[in-house]
Amino acid sequence: MANQSGQVYGLTILSPIIEDNRLDICHSMDLRWYLGHLPRDHKSPFARISSTYLARLVVMDDVVYVGAPACEEHLKSRYLIFETNFDGDLDAYLTLMARETPEFVEAVWKHCVGYPGLSDLAVFIAYMKKCQITTTFYFADVNDRTVQTSLKALQTQSALARFIEKHQGQPPAEIQREFGALLQAMAKAPPPVPGGDESHRMPQEDRGHD
Amino acid sequence: MTNINGKAYAMNAITPMKPWKTPILKLLFFLLGAIKPLQKDLKNLSFIHFARWVVVGRNQFPHLSAKQPREELRYDYLLFFSNFNGTWNQYIDAFSAVLSRGLNLIWRWSEKYPGSRPVTEFKRYIALVQFDTDYYYNVYPRAATNDVKAALRVQDALDQFALRSQSLSPAEFKTAWLELLVRVQPDLGSTGVAPVGT
Repeated sequence: MANQSGQVYGLTILSPIIEDNRLDICHSMDLRWYLGHLPRDHKSPFARISSTYLARLVVMDDVVYVGAPACEEHLKSRYLIFETNFDGDLDAYLTLMARETPEFVEAVWKHCVGYPGLSDLAVFIAYMKKCQITTTFYFADVNDRTVQTSLKALQTQSALARFIEKHQGQPPAEIQREFGALLQAMAKAPPPVPGGDESHRMPQEDRGHD
Repeated sequence: MTNINGKAYAMNAITPMKPWKTPILKLLFFLLGAIKPLQKDLKNLSFIHFARWVVVGRNQFPHLSAKQPREELRYDYLLFFSNFNGTWNQYIDAFSAVLSRGLNLIWRWSEKYPGSRPVTEFKRYIALVQFDTDYYYNVYPRAATNDVKAALRVQDALDQFALRSQSLSPAEFKTAWLELLVRVQPDLGSTGVAPVGT
């Protein structure tokens, strides 16, 4: 199935956004405002949906007109695109979303047509699947590990590099002893934080668009 | 709008296709998925975490309520989503230089696609059909896909070494340690922020 590559699942959802001309602020604008203020680091709701690698939410206002001789046409609804890449099974992922981040799911999908709420998990999952578009071709560069394995490996890589730098040139017996201590420390280390920490961002990371 | 999170760039693009062309494109994607060597260049570029193409038929846009007007479209649409490392210009340049034939096979069915070379026209087209991301999450913002692959190789090497390291004599440990260093040395680069570019 094209939604999967190895053990990674690529979910694509198009949820129509409610159009209501009676509101001062339309649903799509309200949604954009919410998304614009949502944390993107370890405080992100996706950090709690722990099998997520990369995810995006996009308000698609319309299709694109590429110029004559193509025909110009327009959508009658705006759509929320939810594109996410995660480990494992779709039902388990949607269940995790509903259980771990109900306030986030509610705040986003309350702007969408037909959103049934989270009171009945099966109904929510059925709604998301109605909005799902099957991926035609999916590519995942690393598709045989889990999020946690990859995060742990990045932590190990960093710890080992520091250890090698610190202990180079020392007698083998000393390195061996210290290496044993390193292994113990790594085994006891808290799990790596998904999503990083934006308070530690450097100025060049705050590029909006290039 | 937030197309960038750490080292990853979220790109979205949508192009119209005449519906009779859709089955041809789907067949090409089926072959690309089934014949793994055809993905070699995409894999070797090694700066794409995840990418996908999604064909949305003109009657396939979700319709969930009688109050929601039905779409009346003449075109099918090809959506493209990519999570890549580096800047937009680097990405499009690399695509044009390395995957030119493959890209043309995929997008030639879209209206007014100019071809991936010369790159100026290609970039103009991509800029036209691209739309921005409103929210972007990245589980490891300071790591490129190459960093992740390198870290996994280090982890594998360390796991194998750790099992036997403490039972070795100091002389044996010295030899084994040097072997480990030689093995992991190319993969010990540190992660961090990406260089600024355009």
